[in-house]
Amino acid sequence: METIRGRLTVWYATALILSLAVFAVVLYFARRSASYQDLERRIQSEADLTAGILAESYRARGVLLEQDTAGRPVLINEVAAVLEVVPDFLLVTSRDGRLLFASPDARALTFPEFEQLLQLAAAGPGGRAKGVHRIAPNGPTVHYLVRSVPEAGGQFGAIVAGAGTRSAELGLDQLISTLIVAFVLGIVPAVVVGRWIAGRALEPVDQIITEVREISDGRSLHRRLALPMERDELGRLAETLNQMMTRLERSFAALRRFTADASHELKTPLTVARAGVERAITRPDLPQETLAALEETLQEVNRMTELVDALLMLARVDEGRAELHREQVDLRAIVDEARETGELLAEQAGVAIEVHTPPQPVVLAVDRRRVHQLILNLVENAVKYTPRGGTVVLQLSASNGRVLLTVADSGIGIAPGDLPHIFDRFWRADSARTRTGERPGTGLGLAICKWIAEAHGGSIEVQSRPGRGTTFTVTFPHSDG
Amino acid sequence: MKILVVEDDKTVGEYVRRGLDEAGYHAELVGDGDEGLRLATGGHFDLLVLDLRLPKLSGIDVLRTLRDRGNGLPVLVLTAQDAVDFKVQALRMGADDYVTKPFAFEELLARVEALGRRPKAIAPPVLQVADLTLDTGSREVTRARKRIELTPKEYAVLEYLMRHHGRVMSRTLITEYAWDYHFDPGTNIVDVVITRLRKKIDQGREPKLIHTVRGVGYVVRA
Repeated sequence: METIRGRLTVWYATALILSLAVFAVVLYFARRSASYQDLERRIQSEADLTAGILAESYRARGVLLEQDTAGRPVLINEVAAVLEVVPDFLLVTSRDGRLLFASPDARALTFPEFEQLLQLAAAGPGGRAKGVHRIAPNGPTVHYLVRSVPEAGGQFGAIVAGAGTRSAELGLDQLISTLIVAFVLGIVPAVVVGRWIAGRALEPVDQIITEVREISDGRSLHRRLALPMERDELGRLAETLNQMMTRLERSFAALRRFTADASHELKTPLTVARAGVERAITRPDLPQETLAALEETLQEVNRMTELVDALLMLARVDEGRAELHREQVDLRAIVDEARETGELLAEQAGVAIEVHTPPQPVVLAVDRRRVHQLILNLVENAVKYTPRGGTVVLQLSASNGRVLLTVADSGIGIAPGDLPHIFDRFWRADSARTRTGERPGTGLGLAICKWIAEAHGGSIEVQSRPGRGTTFTVTFPHSDG
Repeated sequence: MKILVVEDDKTVGEYVRRGLDEAGYHAELVGDGDEGLRLATGGHFDLLVLDLRLPKLSGIDVLRTLRDRGNGLPVLVLTAQDAVDFKVQALRMGADDYVTKPFAFEELLARVEALGRRPKAIAPPVLQVADLTLDTGSREVTRARKRIELTPKEYAVLEYLMRHHGRVMSRTLITEYAWDYHFDPGTNIVDVVITRLRKKIDQGREPKLIHTVRGVGYVVRA
């Protein structure tokens, strides 16, 4: 989401998920380790209990073994009955490793599983061992303990006490499912509440945005933001923005004054110069050299006038005061108007020109004079950078709700590195590229073209290949109604 | 026709006044807004040429006061502001037309003529040089009674030269008159038009009427 509110919510949720996850993992492992410790303690106490019972019985009775029907030694019934109640796996073996007793859980195991359990007793007699053993590849994992019974007159080899981990795992499984449920139930409301809090906190920011937008449209710069009572971050932001707008207003006023003054101050001397030259040049019977000098002066006055006009216009554009006078016009009429001038420009430069307009009207609300200027600027530019024998194509077309005006030439083209700059003010390509003997223009023509296109809600683009030619494409949005 | 010129810059004002006088009008020049307003309301003038930046009372105030008093005297505004939107602003204030500085006198004269009654002696509807005629009303051009078809720009250039026949008109002046657009210096678009005009008017006919003055411009003369 492209709003601070969205991002805050995402961060919020992420932080919550992370801390919940850490909490869950820690809890799980703590719980797990406690479970296993319980398990160990249980088998330890089972083994100790068994050893105690056996030792006690030995002291009371002496011999604790008898022969079963098959003649194998087994634990006498009285003692076995007591041991029967011990849960989990419990084995008692003789000194030579024979099984004397097995608890009900142990007897419930399959034979190979039972056999493995019995082998653990081999750590005895008298041995002590402890460990985790997986009985079968997919069978239960058993924690076991082997201990001896030294107090029983050497009748017993080892006691094996073991317990499956399944009981401990069962508790952990339950813990995991509880955590997952808590996770889901916790996150959803947290995100919702987080979003709400972020939205509430940012509400004044939205308000500031709306107000600043209204103020900065160029006409309401005298207005200021209402300052909230609290001197919090937003209060300071509003205050800072107000200060900025005050400075903006001042510099805009200064610029406006400057453009008005500059118009007057620069143009009055030009008017005087022009008036003098014009009066002199139209006087009959002047020597030709004088006339030529006056003509040159007149050209320079015009050049200067053009530069001043272009600068002032761009200054007004910067202020947001340059306006268009739109009227519904068939663009073909503007192109036709420019056609003859384009042909004359092309002819004097020895370049061919083609003008294409569609058969049906292309009516748009445009500033007629500006679009005419745009077309002539582009055509003049194209002719200027096209060598003799080249071609310039001016084309007007309408398609897909857009109106395209293209000026393509087969000229010298623009170096790729120069392309991003050609609409910059005062930017000029290497002077070596212009036709020799020709003075460069003001360097403002394309900047003005760009403004004209954009002021109409359109755009201007350029494509160029050095040595092949350049194409300028002006796109106007079709404003139907 | 009497014209009041209100312009604080003496050189410009004097130039306008003398130019209008030479064109057959009676022009009077004053240098500030107070005086301008006083004379303009006097009823002795048929047209007011008004600069907008004036000492004492600004041109805008002069114009507003004049219109507030119900005075309908035609007003041609001189302004240093080039903005196209200025036209709207000036017209809204009650001006009848405007000329931006620096202006070609020809342009000023054309607006003055359009606003006032056009004195017959200055602009005869049919211009004639030898057997070449140009009807400014119907835009018809003939040579030796034969009709000649001209494009709009060819017509504009020929009209300008014929209006000033016998006088050398510089390329720049011709360009300004025929195009409302500044070309790059060195763009000899006028030369192309002249070549075309020569083909249509002078080719195979005597005497040649269009003459080149090298380094300056052209002249139409018999």
